[in-house]
Amino acid sequence: MRKLFHVAWREFVATVATKGFIIGVLMTPALMAFFILVMPALMNEAAPPIAGEILVRDPTGVVFPALVDYLAPEAMAERRRDLLDAASEVVPDAVSKTAMKGLMGEVPQLDIRPLEGGLEDAKASLLTNPNLLAVAIVEPNAIDDVEGSYELFIREKLDDRVEDELHEALREAIIDARIRARGLDPGEIDAITWVPYRRSTTVTEEGERQTLGVLNMMMPLAFMGLVLSSVMVSGQYLLTTTIEEKQSRVVEMLLSAVSPMELMTGKIIGQFCVGLVILVLYSGIGLVALVSFAMSGVIDPSLVLYLFISYVIAYFVIASLMAAVGAAVNELREAQTLMMPLMVILMVPWLLWLPISRNPDSTLSLVTSFLPPVNTFAMLLRITSSSPPPTWQILLSLAIGVASVFAALWFAGKVFRVGLLMHGKPPNLRTLLRWSRMR
Amino acid sequence: MSEAIVLENVTKSFGSKVAVASMGLVIPRGGLYGFIGPNGAGKTTTIRLVMSILFPDDGRVSVLGGSALEVKDRIGYLPEERGLYRKMKVGAFLAYLARLKEVDEADVMKRVRYWLERVGLAEVERKRCEELSKGMQQKVQFVAAVLHEPELLILDEPFSGLDPVNMRLLRELVLEQHARGATILFSTHVMPQAEQICEHIVMIHDGVVVLDDSLDAVRSRFDPRTIELDPLAEMREADEVALLALPGVAAVEREERGYVIRLDEGAEISHLMGRIAARVAPRRLELTRPTLEDVFFELVGAER
Repeated sequence: MRKLFHVAWREFVATVATKGFIIGVLMTPALMAFFILVMPALMNEAAPPIAGEILVRDPTGVVFPALVDYLAPEAMAERRRDLLDAASEVVPDAVSKTAMKGLMGEVPQLDIRPLEGGLEDAKASLLTNPNLLAVAIVEPNAIDDVEGSYELFIREKLDDRVEDELHEALREAIIDARIRARGLDPGEIDAITWVPYRRSTTVTEEGERQTLGVLNMMMPLAFMGLVLSSVMVSGQYLLTTTIEEKQSRVVEMLLSAVSPMELMTGKIIGQFCVGLVILVLYSGIGLVALVSFAMSGVIDPSLVLYLFISYVIAYFVIASLMAAVGAAVNELREAQTLMMPLMVILMVPWLLWLPISRNPDSTLSLVTSFLPPVNTFAMLLRITSSSPPPTWQILLSLAIGVASVFAALWFAGKVFRVGLLMHGKPPNLRTLLRWSRMR
Repeated sequence: MSEAIVLENVTKSFGSKVAVASMGLVIPRGGLYGFIGPNGAGKTTTIRLVMSILFPDDGRVSVLGGSALEVKDRIGYLPEERGLYRKMKVGAFLAYLARLKEVDEADVMKRVRYWLERVGLAEVERKRCEELSKGMQQKVQFVAAVLHEPELLILDEPFSGLDPVNMRLLRELVLEQHARGATILFSTHVMPQAEQICEHIVMIHDGVVVLDDSLDAVRSRFDPRTIELDPLAEMREADEVALLALPGVAAVEREERGYVIRLDEGAEISHLMGRIAARVAPRRLELTRPTLEDVFFELVGAER
């Protein structure tokens, strides 16, 4: 056991005490924080203030005043506030406000004036007058005929957010005018067609909490992503260090002190701890984020336990196979061919995310829950979905997972022992299977 | 248990290639054995079987009374294919291997420093392994094999790539280990190296032991019964005839550098040496000793 500890400790230290690891592991959360918090603020700072004239020809005489009201800076600012409130229904306030502000930029200062000259002259002015942003022509039948509409001419490179606002304003002004023309009160229609939004409340054994629709949908993906990325990173390190040991021929020196099985197990345990560091770090960041947004209630503590168990099973299966591949090849380049089936297997959980989280009781969900090596990921998706599976299915999936760990370790142990001392032509899958049958 | 290594009918194949064929071998404790044979003879495979790095298809291997897996801490092994962790510091690398060999934690760094001093590398303890020259790396690898004071020391081609100075240093250290009581199994394809060190020779060819005897017995068994004569002055024809007439002399042959005098079975060598010297003043007069190379070629020459 002490030898295992020494091998594992060296493997762990040799991996985590490198600049590459520290930069690589911290880069992901740093980039996420940057995109969520800093990027919108930077975009907001950079968004150019928009100011200019809009010329409107309105033969109906009723659209123009409504347009002026709709495009008044105060009215636009109020609409944006409503939008921010709606956004915060699905994402935390701090994030939505920063992000939306960044996306929308500053409120444009628009001067709406009637078009007095000819249309062609106005269009020409769009090319020469830098202050003129757009020319809108309301059709004469826009109020009386449902086919009646408007035309909008804009200058080149007009900000698309302003263009959208103009379209929305013209549409709203024409609808408003049509309602009035039919002797109705637009305010009253607005009032009777408006129902204030109320968030649903999730009732749990621990009490009631706000329902977070998008978050509920993202939760399975987040859990699966955590396990998968930890497994992938540490598995990749295991592959690389095994190839390095073989390439530098230090491996036979090590085999003078430990058995091939001890060496492989020690390395797998060392890299298991590396993956655990990544898992704890990333899930810790996630938990801190949830706590800081007062949403810690969405995490069921039993899920954290299952997350850990899933990581253990998935890691030992994938890492064993990576160790076997690392021992079999002479250099990283040669590993690509043998890694291909493994990479395809690792892609499957991503493909399963939507089908399983949307239909957790489907046949696909059921079959993949018991099919190693993807069963751990499939079950994780189902457990975190809206319809968790019965306990017996969870236990059966875990039992299959544990059995697959032993099978993978047995196979890897055989291949590792033979492959470590083999040099020359890189083996194919058939050769690996032959090695696994050797004494 | 007085045997350090016992192999009984050990066979190991790789596909259709038989690397070791029904090999039987006993190496007693305290022995200094040379394991020799040409490249590809099966030496390294045999050593890997002894070390339980490979396992035999058939037969039994016993090391220090059990399986090598159980006694690895009592074995020092310098493999033919050896390397170091390039980025690791020399001291840390040796300490890591010492810990793997279950050296007492309190002694680990003391031993590392002692041995680095012994091989003249005290100043490299904090250097990365990749910064060392090939010869220095080889000495570090040797230290890794001996710093836990093993009962059995297996050295596979330990001198390859070493300059004469370091070769001599390593040779002395190997003999020192033997004097300490360690059993030494020294494998090489450079047969004169084995002659310089070993007491006992195991010669292997195509996975089969073709010779297993003490060096003295080998020399006596394969004595070519020839005397080399390098005369002080040009030898006349009459001298050649006179030498040929001596009792026990079978032939006198001229070679590029002097003469080779072939002797009959039962010739009295000491008596003959005196008579030859009396007849022809020699610059050099030497009884030819069989080299292991000669022995090897004699044993397997027909196949080659």
